Amino acid sequence: MSLSKNQIAKLLQLIGTTKEDSMDCECCFDRLAEFAEAELEGRSLCEAMMAVRTHIESCPCCADEFKALLDGLRAIGNTDDC
Amino acid sequence: MNVQVLLDVRFQFCNNPLPVLRPAAMEVFDMVNQQDEWVGRLTGPNRDDAISELRAFLVRGLTKSMASRGGGDAFAQDIAQDAVIRILDSLDQFAGRSKFTTWAMTIATRLAISELRRRRHQDVSLDSLANGGALQIEDTTDDGNADAAKRDALSTLRQLVDETLTDKQKIAMQAMLNGLAIEEIASRLGSNRNAVYKLIHDARKKLRTGLEKAGITAETLADLFA
Repeated sequence: MSLSKNQIAKLLQLIGTTKEDSMDCECCFDRLAEFAEAELEGRSLCEAMMAVRTHIESCPCCADEFKALLDGLRAIGNTDDC
Repeated sequence: MNVQVLLDVRFQFCNNPLPVLRPAAMEVFDMVNQQDEWVGRLTGPNRDDAISELRAFLVRGLTKSMASRGGGDAFAQDIAQDAVIRILDSLDQFAGRSKFTTWAMTIATRLAISELRRRRHQDVSLDSLANGGALQIEDTTDDGNADAAKRDALSTLRQLVDETLTDKQKIAMQAMLNGLAIEEIASRLGSNRNAVYKLIHDARKKLRTGLEKAGITAETLADLFA
């Protein structure tokens, strides 16, 4: 089955955005809550959180989950009294 | 201490309130307290109330986050129920690096997204995606006005795919380009998400390195196929 034009464009995008990624999906998941809070609060990222960001930029699945998590957290206004 | 001194101290305090300092250590204390509070409530005598509160909290978040992803209110309710069970089973894994509620929402969100992915692709097999061979790159440039640089780039890419990727990498990449999530690919390959992510990531690196060796950078590709 040949790739369509859109699929080739997507493949090229994947190739172009490939970075050295020291993290896997499960490690990313373990730190995702912490990363989401840092992101929502605009905190600067430590090295461990930078690794999470790199993984999210490389992994479409984790990126999708992260976006959904942010949507959910914004919806509930994850305040200190929760 | 006489009365005047006390009044002076009080005056100074009222007019110069102590600055509100929030050192990192304070945030850690907050998180530990929150962990103790939630874990304590979820395991204590009034756990039913805490569970109801947690479930309602998750439903609110999921209802919003899943609305645009194909999950309605009933879906949010179902997932929240499953998530509460998962959270209760995993309380000892909460490390206190985030708010408890953020951690809980992270678990619920992954459950929700995974279930949506499973439903969306439940009838899709890897064989159907790779019918006739996985990851075949034809020249999709228009015949008459095809840009030579595009043709060359595609030709190089095709050669790299054929010569450097394993069959498993080709199948996994084909499936991903067809919209199948990594965890769905993993379940069909009898593998796990981490392994498939690495499989695909290694393939991407091979292709990127090969293209760069051929003098084709990511920026060139972006320009060519923009």
